[in-house]
Amino acid sequence: MRINDAVIGSVLIVFALAMIGVTRTFPAMPGQDYGPALFPTLIGIGLIITGAILVAGGVARRRTEPWFQGGDWLRSRRHTACFLSIILGLLAYILVSDWLGFILTSLILLTVWLVLFRGGKPVSSFVIALGVTLAVNYAFTTFLLVPLPLGLLEPVIY
Amino acid sequence: MPLSGFETALGLVFDPYVLLVILLAALFGLFVGALPGLTATMATALLVPITFFMDPVPAIGAIVAAVAMAIFAGDISGTLLRIPGTPASAAYVEDAHRMTRKGQAELALGLCLVTSAIGGLFGSAVLAFSAPSLAEVALQFSSFEYFWLACFGLSCAVFISTDAPVKGVVSLLIGLFIATIGIDIIAGHPRFSFGNVELMGGVSFIPAMIGMFAIGEILRFATTTGPKLEVASQAIVHIFRGLGRTLWRYKVNLFRGNLIGVAIGILPGAGADIAAWISYAVAKRFSKEPEKFGTGHPEGLVDAGAANNSALGGAWVPALVFGIPGDSVTAIVIGVLYMKNVNPGPTVLLHAPELLYSVFIVFFLANLLMLPLGYAAIRLSRQILRVPRDTLMPIILIFCIVGAFAINNTVFGVGIILVLGVVAYVMEENGFPIAPAILGIVLGPLVEENFMTSMIKSNGNLIGFFERPIAAGLGVVTLLIWAWVIIAWAVRAARAGGPADAGEERAV
Repeated sequence: MRINDAVIGSVLIVFALAMIGVTRTFPAMPGQDYGPALFPTLIGIGLIITGAILVAGGVARRRTEPWFQGGDWLRSRRHTACFLSIILGLLAYILVSDWLGFILTSLILLTVWLVLFRGGKPVSSFVIALGVTLAVNYAFTTFLLVPLPLGLLEPVIY
Repeated sequence: MPLSGFETALGLVFDPYVLLVILLAALFGLFVGALPGLTATMATALLVPITFFMDPVPAIGAIVAAVAMAIFAGDISGTLLRIPGTPASAAYVEDAHRMTRKGQAELALGLCLVTSAIGGLFGSAVLAFSAPSLAEVALQFSSFEYFWLACFGLSCAVFISTDAPVKGVVSLLIGLFIATIGIDIIAGHPRFSFGNVELMGGVSFIPAMIGMFAIGEILRFATTTGPKLEVASQAIVHIFRGLGRTLWRYKVNLFRGNLIGVAIGILPGAGADIAAWISYAVAKRFSKEPEKFGTGHPEGLVDAGAANNSALGGAWVPALVFGIPGDSVTAIVIGVLYMKNVNPGPTVLLHAPELLYSVFIVFFLANLLMLPLGYAAIRLSRQILRVPRDTLMPIILIFCIVGAFAINNTVFGVGIILVLGVVAYVMEENGFPIAPAILGIVLGPLVEENFMTSMIKSNGNLIGFFERPIAAGLGVVTLLIWAWVIIAWAVRAARAGGPADAGEERAV
């Protein structure tokens, strides 16, 4: 996924301006010239300068480099599905793992990912997912004492 | 050297539990390093959530062993598949693979293994002999020196590790910005947290790292369209046959590779991969038969194979002595130490000398362990390379999720790995190096804290940064690096009639 430097540079500049805007609300330190706003402001200025250099270079090369160029994988449905499944899967984990519990969430996510990555084979995918989920759950809750959420399975287990 | 600390360290390392941890981590490192697409840094990122629950000595032991093995194991897939298992093997992958095509896979792998172990031991020796005496010097340092040292480290990271300095600077600034999120250290004011309690605590280091090094890589794997891997079907049995003769013939190369590797490792911000590139280039420059390089010639292999492993020991010198990481792996280690309430830097020598000595012992141990384990890995290489990565990646993914969750026991960590994973993916795809960002995250608070402390000491007088001799020296060097880079860039831009720099990055 090639994005023209001019686009990236512009995003950086907008981001830096917003960042500097937020630092205006930081209080000054009494009796000091330098407060909590100093470093973020310097970082912002740095991003604006480097962003501008990127924009200049990107615009100069716009004939040979389009603003946005998707990789080969965007033309392959399987690769696109894999890519999206990672992002959506992580989002789903954030949203539902507490309610559904680690074991069920992991089982579903792993099965989906394995089917997508391996291009089919749902039964073996489910078996691998089950084994890995139980192993990870056991290792983290028993050895490392991490309280992975039980969720819906709580009444089943206790 | 206070001997009591050394004896305590021996006791700490030669404990059955610690030895078992080191052995398992070594096997893990071999496996991860040998698989193409899984790097040594990723091995570290995956280990860290587990080391989080350990004492400092086994935690560091695990990381040292895993990384040393992974850097060597990267040569296996480089030799047999022409795909470097880690970026550190990329410099000489052409030679190694062509040796395989000539039927010399055994010699190539044997050279990689033995030069790696020798390089690793050399790096360990330099580390063990230089760190304690350097730390005595570093004890004199104040906030002024530390400010410059951190700036120097960040500058090196930006300008050595990339051919596109502008993109390196952007990466660094992104890292520094991430470091500012949360309650600021001096005034106690929450920055960029927008009232969110979890953001107020800052972006935890472990999820940040898992996101940038593991999730980013998995996204890249998912979007890689290419043919299936073909494993060379040569019998690999007599790895050590004819090895002694070849090594003796290239003994100068071996020595030179060791030296260059350590020297580059010591430079903050440059690690094993750059050491390999530079020593390969040096080998070619001084070779009697440079035309053979790239055609399956063992000479560059010896130089660079030793250099990338000796760089590992070198990278720990600034990390242990000053708390300034030498590469992204030591940056991760420094983050881990901070979380264990150990302040990396010269005070470790005063408060916990046994920790320092333990690191040295683990280094020697890991590199000695490399010979038998590496031999086994080479013998099993065909089986290892056949492990289906399609199956492995989802498993690593779920492991990343649990690892990120385990740090604070909230899904906030999962959010961090998602956001930073996507950021890292987009950055890598567009030629922005990742290492400066990680160094920015680790060193950002150090730079800011030392700047603020210094300003309070000198009543806001910036001249204070040049009043002490070492501080002034470091400051001048740092400013010269920047001046040189900016002038070089301006000259190039003027010649090309426009900003010429950003587009010419090396393929990484």
